[in-house]
Amino acid sequence: MPVVDIDPDELRRLTGHRSKDDDELRQDLFGLGIEYEGETEDGEFKLEFEADRLDRLSVEGIARSLRYHAGDDRGVDIPDTNAPEWAIDVTDVPADRPYVTGAVIRGVDLDADALDSLIQLQEKLHATMGRKRAKGAIGIHDLAMLKGDTVDGDGTAARSLTYTGIDPDGDTFVPLDDDAERTPADVLTEHPTGETYADLLADHDTYPAIYDDIGLFSFPPVINGRRTEVTTDSRELFVELTGTDQWTIDRMCAIICYALDARGATIEDVTVDYPDRELHRPDFAVRTKHVSHDRIETLLGVEFTTEAVVDLAERAGLDATPTDDGYDVEIPPYRVDVRHPVDVVDDLGRAYDFNDLTPRYPDVNTIGGRTESSRLERSVRQALVGLGFEDLLNFNMTSEAENFDRMRLTPDHDAVGAAQPATIAEPYSQDFTILRTWALPSLAMVLETNTHHAYPQDLAEVGFAAHADGDTQTGVAERRTVAAVLARNDASYEDAKARLQALCDEFAVALETPPTTHPSFIDGRAATIEIDGQPAGVIGELHPGVIVEHDVEVPVAGFEFELDALR
Amino acid sequence: MQLPTQQVAVLDAASTDDPQRIEALAADTDYPPETIAGAALALEAEGLVAVTETTTTTVSLTDEGHAYATDGLPEVRLYRAALDAGADDTPVEMGHVIGAAGLDGAQVDIALSNYARKGYGTIDSGALAADPDANPDDDPEANALATLAAGDTLADDAVLDQLASRDLVTVSERTVRSVTLTEAGVTELMAGVEATDEVGALTPELLASGEWADVEFADYNVAADAAAHTPGKPHVLRQAAERVTDVLVGMGFQEMDGPHVDADFYINDCLFMPQDHPARNHWDRFALSNPARIDELPDALVERVERAHREGAGDDGDGYHSPWDEDFARALALRGHTTSLTARHLAGLADADVEAPARYFSVEKAYRNDTLDATHLLEFFQIEGWVLADDLSVRDLMGTFREFYSQFGIHDLQFKPTYNPYTEPSFELFGRHPETGELIEIGNSGIFRPEMLDPLDVDGDVMAWGLALERLLMLMTGFEDIRDVHGTLCDVGFLRNAEVVY
Repeated sequence: MPVVDIDPDELRRLTGHRSKDDDELRQDLFGLGIEYEGETEDGEFKLEFEADRLDRLSVEGIARSLRYHAGDDRGVDIPDTNAPEWAIDVTDVPADRPYVTGAVIRGVDLDADALDSLIQLQEKLHATMGRKRAKGAIGIHDLAMLKGDTVDGDGTAARSLTYTGIDPDGDTFVPLDDDAERTPADVLTEHPTGETYADLLADHDTYPAIYDDIGLFSFPPVINGRRTEVTTDSRELFVELTGTDQWTIDRMCAIICYALDARGATIEDVTVDYPDRELHRPDFAVRTKHVSHDRIETLLGVEFTTEAVVDLAERAGLDATPTDDGYDVEIPPYRVDVRHPVDVVDDLGRAYDFNDLTPRYPDVNTIGGRTESSRLERSVRQALVGLGFEDLLNFNMTSEAENFDRMRLTPDHDAVGAAQPATIAEPYSQDFTILRTWALPSLAMVLETNTHHAYPQDLAEVGFAAHADGDTQTGVAERRTVAAVLARNDASYEDAKARLQALCDEFAVALETPPTTHPSFIDGRAATIEIDGQPAGVIGELHPGVIVEHDVEVPVAGFEFELDALR
Repeated sequence: MQLPTQQVAVLDAASTDDPQRIEALAADTDYPPETIAGAALALEAEGLVAVTETTTTTVSLTDEGHAYATDGLPEVRLYRAALDAGADDTPVEMGHVIGAAGLDGAQVDIALSNYARKGYGTIDSGALAADPDANPDDDPEANALATLAAGDTLADDAVLDQLASRDLVTVSERTVRSVTLTEAGVTELMAGVEATDEVGALTPELLASGEWADVEFADYNVAADAAAHTPGKPHVLRQAAERVTDVLVGMGFQEMDGPHVDADFYINDCLFMPQDHPARNHWDRFALSNPARIDELPDALVERVERAHREGAGDDGDGYHSPWDEDFARALALRGHTTSLTARHLAGLADADVEAPARYFSVEKAYRNDTLDATHLLEFFQIEGWVLADDLSVRDLMGTFREFYSQFGIHDLQFKPTYNPYTEPSFELFGRHPETGELIEIGNSGIFRPEMLDPLDVDGDVMAWGLALERLLMLMTGFEDIRDVHGTLCDVGFLRNAEVVY
């Protein structure tokens, strides 16, 4: 979840709630669902909130939400914009980053705090909507340092910049935090910021580049040029965004423009000239969702008058116009989270305050029950406990070493437990690389961990096992398995068989144990478990090699078979 | 009066003026001493005998003590050898004297350390001087050893302590109980005392013969500890899962079952999780390398899910403006939540046809590539539950969850509006810890979005919630480290001693 650092004094100033102390501010923030996580060294609030309201990633956005919540502002507010003087000409752009948008900001007054806030907003938008700059990246420049080509023609935009694609070594510029002229390719290997974002351009034949009349000044999504660096002296800004999706960068642009508008700046349109179309940006178009009155009432479980709904909408920063069966609700351009009318109902619920709703138990009648396999599993577990076994719960993930090697088994053996395992692509550690194909290795590991405890240790587990199997829907055959070990000074095959026989008797199935060989067991003391005539598992005395491998100093007898054999 | 046989034997053997020790009575009566002790205490309780306790101290020489009693204390031998060497006149080289005294091994150190302590002389720079006025015949420790060796008792406790500290004697204390007949005892004996039959164990023979009716059963020390017994026990997390299952079945929920390894399509895409959502590429999921892709997905469902991602749901819905690729959806992974089961059930892909009204749940494992610590493992149990009905409201959601949590003693449930890609509205659930009173998150809930339900062809509203079983168990029992119970590093002792959950 995003965390932003907010200066409480800035918040007081921007909300106009100048007399509120820190505690009152924190309470107001909690009301918005924004959690106070502590303070920075500079006394700023660290605030955490959910990843949907990206318009609140800055102090300006949070202040706007607080003013709506307090009823200081109502309804949708669209900043005025001036006619465009600048255009972005789009030609020969990289195929993987075809979209651009932008805005001109005039009359900004950036003190150090405001500049910090702007940079933080830029970074947080990169981290969230921008998908670490892959989907959308923002460049902010000092407009005074840009020189535009004068464009003849209709006069709507007198100067132009160019967004294009260039060879990785096709040009040079001085990047931010640097003194040397470098090509974009050099930036990716020689500049720290370049190294961080080099992966984003790994598949690019040409690199994104923005030019003015003087030359290359921005290398999105990596770094701006030093020439146009924004400082506290900057009074006019040029904002450009490039990315893989026009809608996404337009929303990011709107959020930045709203933040600067809240500081008294004037927004000026920019014309974006694609080869096949012309866009006017920033995109402050209001979207409309139709919400039925009935849906509002059924979803919140409360009856409302039309006036009440309109009032709640305005307090949520929306505008609701009543229609025959509901409302046309206008959504301001900075709201990136409203996809469907239910999102509007959620906003209305928050404005109403969900905590004022009275819980009620729904009048819905259904019959509860367990699955058959779950009932069987529970019964077998109870039977094993009745036989004196400690019921265990082990991990379904394990390693080849534990599952096979330490049991003297290989996946290619013709033996219980031997199978091609389902393997994990990027395991947490070398201890958890596969799903276990059987459960006895887990019990042997528990014996190994607990040699300091008293014997006998009679342990059992009814649990999950799986192996790769192309004949199943998911390619993995999953099953429940029953495993048990008896570790004690005089543990023998007979002890294990006596318990297995008792278990089979309880479930009224016929048990046969014809001799077999299994690498994990002593030859001549291992048998196939045949239940109702079908092979279902293996029983025997564990091989001394297995016992010693697990640092156990007493004999161990055990068995494992498929749970379903008891059905 | 009638008394048990062994009590009668004690009464008969005891006298009024000659206290008899328990051991002596045991020898006289042919009963084991513990039986006689029990009988004597029972008689004392009746006032028929008096039992007196005396503590006697026995002193015996150790092997070393015996040796010194015979050969003399090492320091005394050293002094005599020193005198022989003329050390009372001028200091003599130490090695020479030690050799002459016949001391070796540990005795050398013993001799030297006690020599100075007892004032036999001084040792300086390897030379030994002897005090001419010292008298080895008056050495109290040597004399005490001689006394003890002769079998006599020692009067001087200080010397005894000194010998004990030198490990030359062992001092042991014994409590001896003696029995004396009281006047009441005499009176009862005069009046006549008969023995009842008393038996130790009830045997099949006693039962079969009917003799049990005529015998007295000897009292056991029922307050004594018994030998430890280790029963089998259901695993504490399984007990908690059973408890949760009981509650949910009681509330009308039907259990779900389904694959642990599943396609991302069911784990994420069907839940309207955008393919470029950070969680989907994040290292915290466990993708499989073999097998890596599911072969079969239902074409019509895939098409509807893709459309929801791209275009949203309904007339004026918006999609995600994110890429959507069927191949990406085919990737297999260990389920990060059991909501994949919910998706399969709502889509009608599980055994049952799901129609409103319905309630479903599961308490099963999910997998997350998280850092291991006391509260996080790679595998955990997720409690997943949902209700399908017409026109479900936020109030129904609140009422259902309030009822569920109250079954576990968690009241004052609080609902914090939150964000979740597949529910709207969404709420984090907070409850007070029953013991610490702390407000902690105990679940996540919401009403499924149309973008999830429409492609699954669900008719009705669905509210759902999820929480970790381990978290609930920690709340219920207060235990602190999940690693003790779950996995191959578990502590069998901890499991054996864990309190039962019910």
